[in-house]
Amino acid sequence: MTVSLTIENLSAHYGSTPVLKDLSISVAAGELVSLLGSSGCGKTTTLRIVAGFLEPTSGRVRLGDRDLTTLPAHARDIGLVFQNYALFPHLTVMENVAFGLKQRGIAKPDRAKRAGSMLDRVGLSHLADRLPSALSGGQKQRVALARALVIEPPLLMFDEPLSNLDAKLRVDMRVEIRQLQKANGTTSLYVTHDQEEAFSISDRVAIMNAGRIMQLDTPEVLYRKPANAFVASFVGFENLVPMKVVSRDGATVTAEAAGGARLSFSQDVFGAIKDDFVLATRADGLVARQSGEGIPATLGTRTYLGRAYQYKCVTVAGEITANGALSEPYDPGTSAVLVPVPEQCCILDPEA
Amino acid sequence: MKRFAKWGLTMPATIAVVVALVIPVLLTIATTFGEPKGAFSTYTAFFNSGFRTNILYRTLRIALITTAISLVIGFLTAYVIARMPGRLKSIAIIAAVFPLLTGVVVRSFAWLIILGKNGIVNDTLMSLGIISEPLSMLYTEGSVIVAMVYLFVPLMILTLTGVLEGVPREVVEASTSLGATPIATFFQVILPLAVPGLIVGAVLVFTGSFTSYATPQLLGGEQMMMMGTLLYQRAMVTFDWVGASTIAAIMVVITIAVVTIMSRMARRLNPMAV
Repeated sequence: MTVSLTIENLSAHYGSTPVLKDLSISVAAGELVSLLGSSGCGKTTTLRIVAGFLEPTSGRVRLGDRDLTTLPAHARDIGLVFQNYALFPHLTVMENVAFGLKQRGIAKPDRAKRAGSMLDRVGLSHLADRLPSALSGGQKQRVALARALVIEPPLLMFDEPLSNLDAKLRVDMRVEIRQLQKANGTTSLYVTHDQEEAFSISDRVAIMNAGRIMQLDTPEVLYRKPANAFVASFVGFENLVPMKVVSRDGATVTAEAAGGARLSFSQDVFGAIKDDFVLATRADGLVARQSGEGIPATLGTRTYLGRAYQYKCVTVAGEITANGALSEPYDPGTSAVLVPVPEQCCILDPEA
Repeated sequence: MKRFAKWGLTMPATIAVVVALVIPVLLTIATTFGEPKGAFSTYTAFFNSGFRTNILYRTLRIALITTAISLVIGFLTAYVIARMPGRLKSIAIIAAVFPLLTGVVVRSFAWLIILGKNGIVNDTLMSLGIISEPLSMLYTEGSVIVAMVYLFVPLMILTLTGVLEGVPREVVEASTSLGATPIATFFQVILPLAVPGLIVGAVLVFTGSFTSYATPQLLGGEQMMMMGTLLYQRAMVTFDWVGASTIAAIMVVITIAVVTIMSRMARRLNPMAV
């Protein structure tokens, strides 16, 4: 029953503007992959093409051994959960859930039984006879989920399903979605602009920008080892410092940032280092100290973070955010050096 | 102060309606009960006259048929318009509403020219050799219905386009994703959601055609009198003011009854209402 989804070389245009550029993803059977990106990055377009609501300019969509590319939307057998729930306002909760079964020609008693047990699973059987207008946002989204799951689709797709819910409910619902998805082993594609949501719910996340996938990997890898500057800044690497190698001595490479600050890196830690690279760190990857090998800086505003102090610093290589120990609070204007913590740093190729 | 503002602002309109409409209508109806032969004598007379009840039934029949045809034509047109892209949609709506810019008499008169003995339809059919004698299409129920449908379809299109545009795209997509064919989506989702609009449109067309005067006068003539033309004849030709008031009272009651029933149905069927 569980099959894989393969999206091959998908391109799409809105008018003459390209919105997807040669995009390929494959989602393994039973896997949940999120498409993550800001609005306009093409994530929703991808979902709508897979659903059959949009036609791609080129490329193919395959589900298991079925080629969906030219199949009409109603024949694709995909469960869809929408951002605004999209419940049928004229049908009761029970009728909403049974809708897909009815289209499949399933007899009424069987329909009621299956829709009933699905409502049970999402904990809404007591609301079966209500109209959607009498439900809260969370209840509506549960009905939408039940409606999509009850047809036992080989592929589930979610289009920002939690954006209309309040913060606490969002966390509860995403756990619930993940549990139902895992229990059914349904291959899923999940579209969101919320990084925390994507990272917490997915097996793998595709970070998208301008119609392309910038990196597709597990949340752990994305968070610790972004593949490029875009992904790095997306996952919270505040500091991207371009550097140039000035000398190599065995495994140790010395590189210079703009303004002449020199740092050395071990190729045992970072692997082979090219002549031009970008040093990417979060604030906790640079420590403000009085001595050591680092980037000379003048410390600015100090913020208390609980585990550390954070400083906005002015350096010859530009503005940098760094952390400092709680034991040594520095006042604004203090001169210091920002010393990299190798395990918190990434070395990236410069942007093309 | 707030309260005064709320009521005060509606005062001019309220006074105008009461003075110019409510009081005259009540006075008109009151005169029908003041006959020496008994309070309901004029009504008994009306319903005992085959001639007059025939006109009532004909009026009801024409109004209902006009409403039904307008619903179908209006719905199909509105469905197409609602799915058009923005610019084209505005043009289509303007085109649909364009006839409303001329008067009812002018538009009814146009059908005299089209359907007349030497009209466009007869000329065309005769020149094509399909008929040898001109058809007499005027002064039939059919000619009245055709003209009224033409008059009222724009109203229906306008009402229904709004309603159909209000059906969220995602709801249609949800239906599609659940395996409903386009036809199933139409009958199980779009049509049920449009029912309130269909009823509002039906109310507009029914009241308009039930009470019409100019169209049956021009295209129905003496043979195909409707309540409106009968009323005019009673009041202005035979000067039977009480008889005319009776007809007016019956029309008011029937119109109110139909509108009430329809708007009740609309309210019950409106799933969007909270």
